[in-house]
Amino acid sequence: MTLITSPLALTLLLAVAAYWLAKRRAISAAKGDVRSLAALPTAYGTNAALSVVIPAFVGFILISLYSGLAPRAEDVAPLSKTWFILVPAVLGFVGAIALSTKDFRARTASERWILALLMGASGVAILTTIGIVFSMLFETFNFFSQYSWTDFFFSTKWSPNFRGDSDLGILPLLWGTLYISFIALLVAVPIGLFSAVYLSEYAGPRMRAFAKPAIEVLAGIPTIVYGLFALVTVGPLLRDYFAQPIGLGDSASSVLTAGLVMGVMLIPFVSSLSDDIINAVPQAMRDGSLGLGATKSETIRQVVVPAALPGIVGAILLAASRAIGETMIVVLGAGAAARLSLNPLEAMTTVTVKIVSQLTGDTDFSAPETLVAFALGLTLFVLTLGLNVLALIIVRRYREQYE
Amino acid sequence: MKDQAEMDNSMPTPSKISASGVQVYYGDNHAIKDVNVEIADKTVTAFIGPSGCGKSTFLRCINRMNDTIDVCRVEGDIRIDGEDIYDPKVDPVQLRAKVGMVFQKPNPFPKSIYDNVAYGPKIHGLARDKAELDEIVETALRRGAIWDEVKDRLDAPGTGLSGGQQQRLCIARAVATEPEVLLMDEPCSALDPIATAQVEELIDDLRQRFSVVIVTHSMQQAARVSQRTAFFHLGNLVEMDDTDKIFTNPRDPRTESYISGRIG
Amino acid sequence: MSYQSRHGSLLTEDARTRKRNRAESRFKAYGLTAVIASVLALFMLLASILSNGLGAFQQTFVTINIALPEDKLDKSGVRDPEVMAKVSTFGYTPLIRDGLVQTLANAGIETDQSAKALLGLISKEAPAALRYRVLANPDLVGQTVSMELLANGRIDGFFKGRVTMESAALDKNTSPEILQVAQQLADDGLMTTRFNWGFLTKPDASDQRPESAGLGVAILGSLYMMIVVLALALPLGVAASIYLEEFAPNNWITDLIEVNISNLAAVPSIVYGILGLAIFINFAGLPQSAPLVGGLVLTLMTLPTIIISTRAALKSVPPSIRDAALGVGASKMQSVFHHVLPLAAPGILTGTIIGLAQALGETAPLLLIGMVAFVKEYPEIGIEGFTDPATALPVQIFNWTQRADPAFVERAFGAIITLLVFLLFMNLLAIFLRRKFERRW
Repeated sequence: MTLITSPLALTLLLAVAAYWLAKRRAISAAKGDVRSLAALPTAYGTNAALSVVIPAFVGFILISLYSGLAPRAEDVAPLSKTWFILVPAVLGFVGAIALSTKDFRARTASERWILALLMGASGVAILTTIGIVFSMLFETFNFFSQYSWTDFFFSTKWSPNFRGDSDLGILPLLWGTLYISFIALLVAVPIGLFSAVYLSEYAGPRMRAFAKPAIEVLAGIPTIVYGLFALVTVGPLLRDYFAQPIGLGDSASSVLTAGLVMGVMLIPFVSSLSDDIINAVPQAMRDGSLGLGATKSETIRQVVVPAALPGIVGAILLAASRAIGETMIVVLGAGAAARLSLNPLEAMTTVTVKIVSQLTGDTDFSAPETLVAFALGLTLFVLTLGLNVLALIIVRRYREQYE
Repeated sequence: MKDQAEMDNSMPTPSKISASGVQVYYGDNHAIKDVNVEIADKTVTAFIGPSGCGKSTFLRCINRMNDTIDVCRVEGDIRIDGEDIYDPKVDPVQLRAKVGMVFQKPNPFPKSIYDNVAYGPKIHGLARDKAELDEIVETALRRGAIWDEVKDRLDAPGTGLSGGQQQRLCIARAVATEPEVLLMDEPCSALDPIATAQVEELIDDLRQRFSVVIVTHSMQQAARVSQRTAFFHLGNLVEMDDTDKIFTNPRDPRTESYISGRIG
Repeated sequence: MSYQSRHGSLLTEDARTRKRNRAESRFKAYGLTAVIASVLALFMLLASILSNGLGAFQQTFVTINIALPEDKLDKSGVRDPEVMAKVSTFGYTPLIRDGLVQTLANAGIETDQSAKALLGLISKEAPAALRYRVLANPDLVGQTVSMELLANGRIDGFFKGRVTMESAALDKNTSPEILQVAQQLADDGLMTTRFNWGFLTKPDASDQRPESAGLGVAILGSLYMMIVVLALALPLGVAASIYLEEFAPNNWITDLIEVNISNLAAVPSIVYGILGLAIFINFAGLPQSAPLVGGLVLTLMTLPTIIISTRAALKSVPPSIRDAALGVGASKMQSVFHHVLPLAAPGILTGTIIGLAQALGETAPLLLIGMVAFVKEYPEIGIEGFTDPATALPVQIFNWTQRADPAFVERAFGAIITLLVFLLFMNLLAIFLRRKFERRW
């Protein structure tokens, strides 16, 4: 921390100095009459300050990247780190002061710096994606150099063993993930869709004023809360009143527990997306059907929903992507046993649960048992990315249809 | 049938629709003020007037489309064949099967041409089997004067047709449920002149079977297609008479100002 | 004509219409059922949280008189805290035991339990609390002080209905006899259950002493992370939105960025945890469990949300405002910073608060960057605090669910109530801002 602090303080000091000097120089160049300047004196100052800060920041980013990538820490002496920040800063300082003459278009110059900053900020989005992909790709390669990829993708057995000789097949995890997501969608899609239809087409203003925010509240509740709800309330309830009486299992954590609770979590998501989509269907379409003597439900089922279908499919795909990536509910509600079973009252586990369990606690980043988490993460990322992109394309095309 | 078609338009048949003392409110806005109208069977009646005068609002009262607007309130008495359509026993769904409607902008469903037309007969259960449904669809498309243009592509989406074709499709769709009254809310305002001429010609044909009420912005159109014309102004029915008379010899000075282009 | 007669009287409902109307009512009933199901789910969730968690804010305390003999605590007699610190918490345990026995005797409560067993009434945290009090005020040595001490978690559970005589009989940590003594103490007013600020201010405690576990470190850690998120995500998000909305040319790079942002908004949060672990901890070498790293991860996660809402806010400012500024000779940059941005500020703020609320409740990515560790020390107040180990509210909740003692479940739900209260306030603030500054163009 102190390593950065001192060059940081120096740079800021330099920037303040540059601001005042450039401003002074511009005013004196104008011989006191600031109207003869090409820009306001503060523009000279701003330009000079930015000319110091931005190059220093770029230097800092470059040296940080380099020091992270360098094979040995000694390759990057602390001194060179300081230089990387201060040299650009000083160059910017000198350049900006020298440029601050009467005819220098300081405002245009400072705006160019600001535009560069704005562009840099939007680049963070791309950098994040690159970061995500590379952070996982790199370790995934490491993993596949130690563990056969065919075993990973096609083995039906998951039993990590920290003394080595583990079975790390993704199939049971994928099965658990998809099974739970399926149940969640089975709960969320009909309830969410029907709620959206009812609230937008039937409910009176008072009902809407109460029910709509109530459903939205469900969306604002953190997933850990749902997880605990599954663990403490829903799980035991299902076990005592459902699983045990019919003899299908005696575990509180189960596919059904996690699926039900996740379904509740997804209701507001499905319903608000469907609401948007249903409202995008033009009123003229509804009028056409009602004018022919169709009832409201006939209009909804036979005209509105078919017209909105692509959008609704997109919404369901987005919900599916959410369900697949959801972590805390399954960590607390689904269990930890990797199992390929059809019984929804048995505990099963998911990709996300295993990412958490393999990466928390004592981890050894050379062991396949740890590295497998990155391969799981990458699989999860690719899966959800595919669903998201597909959904976005469908929804976007649908929106264009009515714009 | 024949004698009805030959009937002179200067002598209206007994009223199909009779409205008396109709008031419509949109929230606090009094949109229709005490309107009394008699509309004859097998004629085309045009509602004209400047925009915002309430002619479309009144039209939408006749098949209770205003029910779909929460803030809208209708008072007064509207009867079709002597039955009060705002009677609590009347189901608007049944009413709208009897009183069809064509809207300002063509609004085909995002379905095939066939399914667009078959939609009404299907929900009202007019066909016993597929062959009968095919026949109804064909008849309706013929009556909509669009059969020849679409008979080879009944499976194509209705939204892919041109504007004029879409509107005729919508007319065919409305006709397919065999209503007795056909309401048309500025059916040509979104169409080009050629399409407009086709639709106008069609309206004249429809008169043989239905009582047609058309809201129009264009006085020429009213003069061309209608036998009776009602002039609305600021929510009031100013004057209603035979079309010839309204355009040649109006009684009310407001009507005269409007048709001569001074207000509107 | 046949079709003419098809329509019967409007005043009688024909069979088909009746059937269709029944279908209509059924459909409506499905919709109503769905709405009721959603609202019911919410109520069940809230009821479960409140019934399980409200108890966490109450704690049972026992008041006893403790003699603080000089020969045990300060043999030197100089009352120097540094010298007295040599007496560890173990040295204080007998004092509490004796005080307890004395207090019971004074109150006339008779019991056949040994003094050691009776010590099971009191929290294992009590000696440390007594020691802290004495070291803070050495002059107490030699006196007899009255002190309110935390009761043991089992005793607390007894008064909250979690522990019963039957369950105590099977429990090696307590016994029905001890519970009877507790009941007598309560009858004499020496043992009371009251609101416990310690739950919100104290740090976490080990498995054996749930009664003293608190949210202090977690709240502080969450606060630090929110500061990081606010300081980074707001400027970055606003800058990126301004660029994309006002300056970006219409080309494939802009398209790529836009697609990217909408995708990032839908990437599972755990993936951000992997990113944080790989980049910030393994690659950049930042410390584990630090609010700084948590804040960075949450920043990246929140950024898309903030960008999306900021762009919507910018978009809602009508072009005429920009034209007016450009018309008097302002540069594009000036028109944006002087006119558009201030007008969009309420919308941006609302979006940011909602993004922060999302970040505050996020758990999964924080597990991967080590914030799940047991942290008993408060992080420093100030810059250094951002790199000190800390935990966060949602992670603390998760942590407590993994403990064996059911007293921790109550605390986890109590922590949920705390978290939800914070979220409620943030959302209310957002609604208030929207109501107050909303402008219709």
